[in-house]
Amino acid sequence: MADIEELASRIAEKLPELSRHPNPVKGYLTLKLEDAAKLPQAAAALKALGFDYLEMISATDWLGAVKPEGYIRNPNPIVFLPEGATPQSVPSATPGFPYRPSFELLWAFADLAAKAWVFLKCEVSREAASVPSLSGLYKGADWQERELFDLMGIRFEGHPNLAKILTPDFLVGHPLRKDYVHVKDRFDE
Amino acid sequence: MSSTAEKTMKTDSMFINLGPQHPSTHGVLRVGLTIEGELITKAVPDIGYLHRGTSKLAEVRGYHHCVVLTDRWDYVAAMPNNLVFCLAAEKLMEVQAPPRAEALRVLMCELNRVASHLLFFGTYGIDIGAFTPFLYAFREREMILDLFEMACGARLTYNYIRLGGVMADVPPEWLAKCREFVDYFKPRIDEYDTLLTYNPIFMARTKEVGLIPAADAVSWSLSGANLRGSGVCYDVRKSDPYCGYERYSFDVPLGQTGSCWDRYFCRVQEMRQSIRIIEQVLGGLPEGPTMAAGVAKIPKPKPGEAYAHVEGARGDLGIFLVSDGQASPYRMHVRAPSFLNLAILQELLVGNKVSDVIAILGSIDIVLGEVDR
Repeated sequence: MADIEELASRIAEKLPELSRHPNPVKGYLTLKLEDAAKLPQAAAALKALGFDYLEMISATDWLGAVKPEGYIRNPNPIVFLPEGATPQSVPSATPGFPYRPSFELLWAFADLAAKAWVFLKCEVSREAASVPSLSGLYKGADWQERELFDLMGIRFEGHPNLAKILTPDFLVGHPLRKDYVHVKDRFDE
Repeated sequence: MSSTAEKTMKTDSMFINLGPQHPSTHGVLRVGLTIEGELITKAVPDIGYLHRGTSKLAEVRGYHHCVVLTDRWDYVAAMPNNLVFCLAAEKLMEVQAPPRAEALRVLMCELNRVASHLLFFGTYGIDIGAFTPFLYAFREREMILDLFEMACGARLTYNYIRLGGVMADVPPEWLAKCREFVDYFKPRIDEYDTLLTYNPIFMARTKEVGLIPAADAVSWSLSGANLRGSGVCYDVRKSDPYCGYERYSFDVPLGQTGSCWDRYFCRVQEMRQSIRIIEQVLGGLPEGPTMAAGVAKIPKPKPGEAYAHVEGARGDLGIFLVSDGQASPYRMHVRAPSFLNLAILQELLVGNKVSDVIAILGSIDIVLGEVDR
């Protein structure tokens, strides 16, 4: 694997507007993109630098602890638990942790020949969760963006076919949002 | 047919469903095909039939419980699934598995790769119309599953690789049995080549079909044998080594044209390389504990983010894990190779004949449990 500092200086020459992220992905070079609208330019510059492999697109909802209403909880399927016990532990919020109403998107680009990885992070607000699509630059972005749209509800502007991909048509909401509440459907009975 | 005849002959386009229940889709996958005569003009893969929401389930489970969820993605090769989650969680927890555990992890993952490629080899033969190789492949695969059963009690969903090491050391007689298998299996691969690899009918069905140029393979984020079949050298074991893979010597088999046959051939060659690695691990298995000291019963890693990826049987399998200091992962994202490999189907199938759809779909080697997660 390529050396992180060397890689950082190589990218900084071409992309001075990207700063090192204060909260990096452990062991990998993580850069911060301030303005989501600048994503296509940054991605194109990275692609020109040799990062032509889009390894992953992910997103984190920083709203806080996950809501228990997002899960199907009754009837209790674990027979060893006492009557009325909750089958899963529901996490609580960590005191002092900077939760905030925003999505943090993460793109991982790889330069296969140089064995180098770079992660790009960008924060967008939950209300207007929309970023430009990379499907024109990387065909691999197509389904990954559809997955995030389906599960997180993030819009990727310019995607040719931003439709649901994993969840069924009747499912309401975006399940990986922390405030997702499950609406009962005919399969819950 | 002459080109003028092709132009003058008008055929109505027809829509047909391939799947969701069809033996050649290897699971519940529906492909909506629009065909004109024998030619495919549009292909729309429809997935999600097996979506169980493991990323959401992980958010209310402890880290140890999540290992169980990982078994259910790629159920044909579950060991790398266990491994990649443990590697990501260990990065968050700042735990390092002891040398013997690392060697056992490598051993199990390579055995699982052979088992998975054997399943591909057998079922791909059936897809093309050769039934015999399947029987041979399953004879050998059974022996690997027996080895797994002996080591951890399960044949499919192992939960063997745990946070900080492995579940338990292998039984004393296991290593001898594993050597026995390696000695038995080595000459079998040459047998496969005579059975299927160089079979003229098989080659005619696969050699010029489903060509993926290297640039397309990279752009579609393919990985595993699908990427290497196009001649792009990318193997996580070499590029971003984990569990001490840099200590073992093995080659990365590459294809030339990116045809179905190239992808098939890469997998068969990979079995040889896996056997090479297994022999090296068996030759120098370090002594010592198989579990790191001080792994908490309920781990609460410090807030942070980690990404780990391994070369699974189907390609670059990655996990992005976020912790906010609670006992459950705050966010788990799976970079599933089958999911990304399958996406190219919408482009790859267009322009092919209906009879080649199965050959192309089979050569991508997907597991729907991993596509849908």
